[in-house]
This record gives sequence, structure tokens and C-alpha cells, in this order.
Amino acid sequence: MEDKAESDEDWNYQFLEELVEDVEENQNIRQCIECGKCIGECPASKISDFNIRRIIRKVLRGDKSVLKDSDIWYCFLCERCKRVCPKKGVNIPLLILNLRNESFKKGYGPRYNDLTKYVEMAEKFLTNGTVLEDPLDGSLSPERIEELNEICNFARIKYVFKASEASKAHKKKNLNKKRVKK
Amino acid sequence: MEINNLAIDLEEIEKRYENPLDFFRGKKLCLFKACLEKYFPGVRFGIQDFLEELGMEVIICQNQSCCSGTFFQRNLITRAQFAAINERNINEINHQADILLVSCNGCYNSLLRGRDFLKDNTVRKKTQDILNDVKEKMGGEKYLGQYDILENPKLRIIHDLDFFYLIRDELVNTLKFGLKGIKIAVHYGCHYLNLDRDKDINTYLKDKTKLEELIRLFGGVPIDYQERESCCGWGASQIVIHPDDALKVTYKKLKSAENVNACFILMPCPTCLYTLSKPEFRERMHKIFNDEVEIPTIHLNELIAILRGCEEERCITLRRKSPRFNQIYATITQE
Repeated sequence: MEDKAESDEDWNYQFLEELVEDVEENQNIRQCIECGKCIGECPASKISDFNIRRIIRKVLRGDKSVLKDSDIWYCFLCERCKRVCPKKGVNIPLLILNLRNESFKKGYGPRYNDLTKYVEMAEKFLTNGTVLEDPLDGSLSPERIEELNEICNFARIKYVFKASEASKAHKKKNLNKKRVKK
Repeated sequence: MEINNLAIDLEEIEKRYENPLDFFRGKKLCLFKACLEKYFPGVRFGIQDFLEELGMEVIICQNQSCCSGTFFQRNLITRAQFAAINERNINEINHQADILLVSCNGCYNSLLRGRDFLKDNTVRKKTQDILNDVKEKMGGEKYLGQYDILENPKLRIIHDLDFFYLIRDELVNTLKFGLKGIKIAVHYGCHYLNLDRDKDINTYLKDKTKLEELIRLFGGVPIDYQERESCCGWGASQIVIHPDDALKVTYKKLKSAENVNACFILMPCPTCLYTLSKPEFRERMHKIFNDEVEIPTIHLNELIAILRGCEEERCITLRRKSPRFNQIYATITQE
């Protein structure tokens, strides 16, 4: 698509509108002039094929194949692109988060196995209220933890957590079976 | 409903108060618990001890949870869920304090971003619906408005770096030691450097120099290096997901500061500190690049603790001790 000569027909904003439906600031993303300043300063571009300009081109042409691109998972969300962009009101990190969300919804996002590194963090958050280490002043009370669990109802973080519980139970079951055999 | 920005207007305080510390006197100050404080306790004690010595009222909100930015950035929670977690924290803290001081760029960004999302009607409605469900589940509220989105809370938020910079004249008088001409590289961290949620457009685009100014004030020499503005490599958990790639960014940064003979790298964020100093990351970099990176790293709050004469065990975590760090500590604290 990128090699073809551009005409008005190449532009298709329907996909963009779906993506930024409730993100006012990103309505301006269609003003992208493809200057490339964002790529020049992007840490992800230095170590991967992550290319914001290419991603925006695809979005502005309604090319949903971008949702299958592994590149969108490489963004550092450092907001550098937002700072150097000459256009006002272009929030690329938020666009990337929206793309990842759509990708997840369509089933192209990282599978559970790719999210295993989040298992421990999800577990800590939903049982302690923290992410990496137990807090200096102790964990949240069970009542407060209940609030967090209620807020996170139906969120992917809960599925990651539940999948880890199921995986633990499965491992335990197998271990018990082996012990019985011995 | 008007959702206001909770970031403190620094310029306004500087204009109105001859001694900016006066703005904070008589107010209740809360320190936001960053997840990495357990790993780097000096980040907490560095500011807590200082404020208490000044006679300020300091509290830690026991009901506060992690900011949840890590999960939002990997799409494991929605914008409304993220905003609800944030609003729950802000509500609890607003109930107990007037000012919230934040030691981590990630938490600071989350606290402001969560409020930003509420400016959108759809997200705000979803967020309030979630909070209503929590209220029902918990059998009502313990204080009026506990589960409401706050329209105009009294609470104001300030990053520790901005706070120390604002009261620098008062701060320097409390120091026992100086930096004795030591060359220091600075790292601001992306979510301080590139953040526009707390600044107007001019301040946002202007060069950030507060760390350098503080170093000069403390008697040190800030030293420029090529990767000054680059990311530490954490990259919204890229170091967890794609460690070998993300560590290229980390290595380049550390090496760049080492190449200009900086004695250490100073930063205002414990997440950047974790990335730039974790022994496992250093070992992995050694394996990948066949090169050892030795430059020590330190959080601003830890440095201030050292300069104020804090005991070594309290201001620098044991997990990060290295012969080079001991040398720095010895150099600074030598009478």
C-alpha cells in the first residue's frame, strides 16, 4: 500500500474514528505531516522495527493489518514523540494504547504465555495493592484489596491472575499424581 | 463537571512567596508510596526525614494502592478502571492531606493522567459507574463522597524534584556536606522530561535544568553527555518483555555517562533507578556487550539524605552497594 501513488481515495478515516471515538485530542492525528521527528527520537525505533510514521499511515488509510503487527507492542510509551511533534494535539502513545486494545479485542494481542511476566505483578496488585515489593508500611487491608478487585472486574489483569491460579493448581495436581505413583 | 488539574502551580508559588516553603507550612503533606520504595528505602526516608526535621506534618496514606500505571500501559486494565483506581487513591489522600509529594515519575504521570481521562464524558461516566459498584459492594461509604469523582478537590500534587527545587534556598542550609566539585551526570526520566500534563506549553518545551541547578547549588559539577535525554530502558516494562532489546537502550545511556567521566548519575525516579542499577541487568549487559558498566546511580532523595548526614544504611539500600558507591559516600561525607 505504501508504494502506491497517493490519491484522495487512499485516505479512509473510518478506522481512525473507531479508534479515537472517545479520545478528543487524537482527532488531530489526521494532521500528521509525516515529518518523522517522532521516529528520530523514538527509543523503540532504535532497537526494533517500531515505526510510528508507518503505523499512522496505516491507520489513516484504514489498514487494519496494523493490529496484527507485533511492532505496536514495542512502544516505550515514553511520550517523547508527543513532545517533539510539531502538530498540537497529537497523542501517539494514546493511539498506540488504543491500537493494542483493538488488537487484544480481535484476538491478535499477546497470548497468555506472553503475559506470564505480568503474573507476579498482577498477583501482587490484587492481593497486596502493590506491584513489585511489599510496601514499606505493610499491605492494604483485605477490605481495601476487595475494592481493587471490584474495580478490576472483567479486566485482563484478572484473567492473567486467574490463569496463573489455574496453572498453579494444575502443576500441584500433576505433582501430587507423581507422588502417588512413587 | 469540571475536572481540574491537580498539579501545583510552581510559578504562582514562586511569585507569591518570598520563601516558597511558607506555602507548605501549616499544610498536611502526604508522601505517595511508590512500589519501589521497599527496594530503595532512602527514596522515602530522604524526603520524610527532611520534612519532619523542618517541623512539617507528614503522613503516609495506608489506604493508598499502587498507581496501576504498569497495568494500564500493557492494556491489562481499561482507561476507566485506571481512572477509578487513581480516583480512589486521590479521594483517600484528599481526605487526609492537602499536598501530595511524589517521588516516582511513573506515579506522578499516573496521578495526573487518571484525572486527564476524566475530562472525557464517556470515560468519566464509566469510571463513576465502576466506583458506584464498589460502593455497593462495600455496603456504602465511610465518609461523604468516598466513591465519588472529585470535582474540585483541595489536594494538590507536586513531584519531589519540583518541591526540592522550589525550596532550594532553605534546603541548602540544612546540608552538612557538599558535593566537593564531583562531576555528575543527570537523568530526568521520560515521564518528567516529556510530560505536559503539569506544565504550560512554554515550560513543557523548555530545556529541563533543575537537577543541574541543584547540583551546582550543592557544590558539584553537572556534566553533559550525549544520552542525557534518552530513556533508561524500562520503557513501560519493555525491559521485562524484551529485556535484551531494552537493555541496549540502558547500556547506551550508562556508557555515555561513563564516557564523560561522570562520577555517578543522578535521577528523580526510582523506576529509572531500578533499571539503571539492578545488578541482574548489569550482569546481563556484561554478557550481551562483553563490557562491564560500573557507573553508580542515585535518586535525588537519597543524595539529599547523604548530604544531610543521614546514616548510610538508611539512605542507600544494601542491595546496591558497590565499591565505587562506597568511595562516593566516603568522598562526600569526609570532613
